[in-house]
Amino acid sequence: MEDLERALRTHPFIADLEPEHVRFLVGCTKNVRFRPGEYLVREGQREDRLYLIREGTASIEMPRSGGDAVVVETVGPGDVLGISRVTPAKAHLDVRAREELVAFAVDNACVLQKMNADPRFGYAITRKLLERTYDRLARARLQNLDVYR
Amino acid sequence: MTATTARQTRSPYLPTPMVVAEVTRDLEDVFTLSFDVPEGFPFRPGQFNMLWVHGVGEVPISISGDPGEPTRLVHTIRSVGNVTRAMASLGVGSWLGVRGPYGTWWPLEQVRGRDVLFVAGGLGLAPMRSAILHVLSHRADYGRVTVLFGARSPAQLLFRDDLQRWRGRFDCWLEATVDRAGRDWFGPVGPITHLVADVPLKPETAVLVCGPEIMMRFVVRELERRGVPDDSIWLSMERNMKCAVGLCGHCQLGPFFVCKDGPVYRFDRIAALFDVREV
Repeated sequence: MEDLERALRTHPFIADLEPEHVRFLVGCTKNVRFRPGEYLVREGQREDRLYLIREGTASIEMPRSGGDAVVVETVGPGDVLGISRVTPAKAHLDVRAREELVAFAVDNACVLQKMNADPRFGYAITRKLLERTYDRLARARLQNLDVYR
Repeated sequence: MTATTARQTRSPYLPTPMVVAEVTRDLEDVFTLSFDVPEGFPFRPGQFNMLWVHGVGEVPISISGDPGEPTRLVHTIRSVGNVTRAMASLGVGSWLGVRGPYGTWWPLEQVRGRDVLFVAGGLGLAPMRSAILHVLSHRADYGRVTVLFGARSPAQLLFRDDLQRWRGRFDCWLEATVDRAGRDWFGPVGPITHLVADVPLKPETAVLVCGPEIMMRFVVRELERRGVPDDSIWLSMERNMKCAVGLCGHCQLGPFFVCKDGPVYRFDRIAALFDVREV
């Protein structure tokens, strides 16, 4: 547990959380590893984990008929996946490991329970998720602007 | 009097006829025209020429060739209007009028000894290519060299051979990102600002930015967030240039004429104009 706590602290999403909040998260977190081509998230399936990527990259893809896909964004070390899903919902895109990927998988239901139990913890996590959400929204807007025209 | 001196001393409006020596189709709507100039056509990376198609018109086009090879004049052009569409139909042996070189240039002498970061988007790689080639051929004069390039899709990546060559060097770090891709693209997908956010920067890193103005605006914001001072950032601005000698006023940008005072500006000189909505 102590090792996981120390490892968690190295992730930018966690780095400046209060120690007691990190300890809260440890109980909801496990290390996961994906092989290249393996899916972290499948469209239409229940998205019940928050992934904090440690190593490797993943592509966020819109599947198309015929097995092809459009890659709309790639994420890598330090990024967070599943940010809009503190409450369980179905995924609207696929996320696929492009190479060997190592991440912390945080159980959303477990985090939500702790957020409800401790509003300070809930506020700290919500704020971090909002920052990440805004960052990703800004990226998506910029891509939509077609700035290289 | 040499041919080069003669060209510089006669009327600035008089183009020199040149014969197209090579045509390269870079992208569906982008092509490169090369001219052999045995007497030499010295220029500084970042400068532009006015290219004239007889009976059609004249447009400003950045020089994209190697400054170390002054007998070969190279322009990379996007086919977007009447003049550039006419240029796109030219073949080897066709004549074109050339006058120049005009404008300011990338501060490659000034930033010697410093790390250099090139940030280019879309066709913005063309005016930057000369500067990158210069830096790579004088590699010992500079610190860490990084090239970040953004395009709409992998099919829109310009100068693929150059990108591969630069990436293959051990003394140049290159990353290209696209807005959309298929699974056969192994690079990053996302805005170029995301690459800028992750690139190693020192306070004295010189950053050279070229691309559509909207892209440069977001890149500059990211650089400011990263703590890069305004006087370490240079941008190549684009305006509707006509006379190219600072007389007609078509390319006015606040108190500046882009053809004469630009196109390359140190950012602190134009920072106040950058967010003005109608300049």
